[in-house]
Amino acid sequence: MINRIIALLVVSLIVFACKSGGDKGAKDDFVVPEDVVTEGVLEISEEVMQDIVQNISSPVEMAALVKSLNANFSNDYLAPTDNVDELTTAFQQAFNLGVYAADLGYLNIYNKTNSVIDYITAIKTLADGVRVGQFFDFTTLKRLAQSNQNLDSLMYISVHSFNQMDKYLRTDNRSNLSTLMVTGVWIEGLYLATQVAKEDPHPELAERIGEQKIIMNDLMVILENYKSDKQFNSLIEDLRVLKSEFNDVSITIQKGEPEAIEENGMLVIIQNDISIVNISPERLQSIIEKTEKIRNKLISL
Amino acid sequence: MKNILKLIFLTSVIISIGTTAQDNVELVAQCAASAGNVTYLKDFVVKLDAGVPGGKPPSAKFSMVLSKNTQYRFSICTAPDSEGEAILQLFDMNVLQGSTYISATGKEFPFFDFKCQKTGVYHVFISFKEGKVGESVGILSFVKKL
Repeated sequence: MINRIIALLVVSLIVFACKSGGDKGAKDDFVVPEDVVTEGVLEISEEVMQDIVQNISSPVEMAALVKSLNANFSNDYLAPTDNVDELTTAFQQAFNLGVYAADLGYLNIYNKTNSVIDYITAIKTLADGVRVGQFFDFTTLKRLAQSNQNLDSLMYISVHSFNQMDKYLRTDNRSNLSTLMVTGVWIEGLYLATQVAKEDPHPELAERIGEQKIIMNDLMVILENYKSDKQFNSLIEDLRVLKSEFNDVSITIQKGEPEAIEENGMLVIIQNDISIVNISPERLQSIIEKTEKIRNKLISL
Repeated sequence: MKNILKLIFLTSVIISIGTTAQDNVELVAQCAASAGNVTYLKDFVVKLDAGVPGGKPPSAKFSMVLSKNTQYRFSICTAPDSEGEAILQLFDMNVLQGSTYISATGKEFPFFDFKCQKTGVYHVFISFKEGKVGESVGILSFVKKL
């Protein structure tokens, strides 16, 4: 009798633990795809990997830059969401999750809440696919987008959800998928910047595009870690072509000491180290073309 | 007023969805809202043990890329049950750029703005005054393009 009570208690505890810490969005009968789990030995340590992955750009900064330059919003810069159900491998799902997160950032920055629903639906589908759907509060985001109110909250929850998914993948030993997500964000951000630069050239945009050389070097280091995987290897090959375009982009630093001032009781630090980017118009054009080609290929895989 | 409403809304959303206890989600939302009318980019959740007496206070390090011609805001919030007061410092390589605590004057700031002029990798260090034990959240927000 006592054994049965203990067994019942143990089963109850397990059920409770699974429910309370579990995956709200994912289906109960979800089968983990084989390629979700990191395989093999990493060439650089997980700690170094995490440090680098944290460095890669956010889903909103490039969009904010584009908006600050008074560039018009265009649906043409967005990745289509029609075929999201055909993205069935964890590789495709994680990469496109990053792409759509960047697009969602672009839509949010321009307050285009009508189109947001398509993108949060696509992100939810992909997030469930890689078992991070519990961090994406689809219901609240949908309600906020439909009401067209609390746009600050819409932005906050979107970016915070992305950060939570990324963090969870890294702590769950699935840094390969986190890497794909940040690669997706980065390539979509670069695509947005280059498309705007193509339509409406601007020196600041050219400089920001040239600076992607710094991020690309970090990105390649982490991607190379997974080169034994066929899909990763193919992605690396594509990005190597793009990386070579940045070879003659030069970045120099003019040194200076930071200054601290108080403005209305607020502490403001003015950096006096200044980076200067040299990128020729021909090279910029070539980067624009290569980015378009590679991004379009990657989102159609 | 707008920030108070934002704070109430975010807190209620987060409580209602019952997110996992992996991070201090509520404190992140409160800290992001208290940063003002800015766009949240990243959070740095920290839980540190007490330091050894006379030794260097324990700290947590985070890396990020900041972009030229951008004004960022770095905020720090200490969890209510912490013994220590959290400090956030921003470094470019090994050069201190800014801190929420100015040791020379003893002045504390809940946040500071950083007008970035050089795209590159920067490091945030979060520690507690006098190496005390505590939990805190640092927030990186986007203020505007310069």
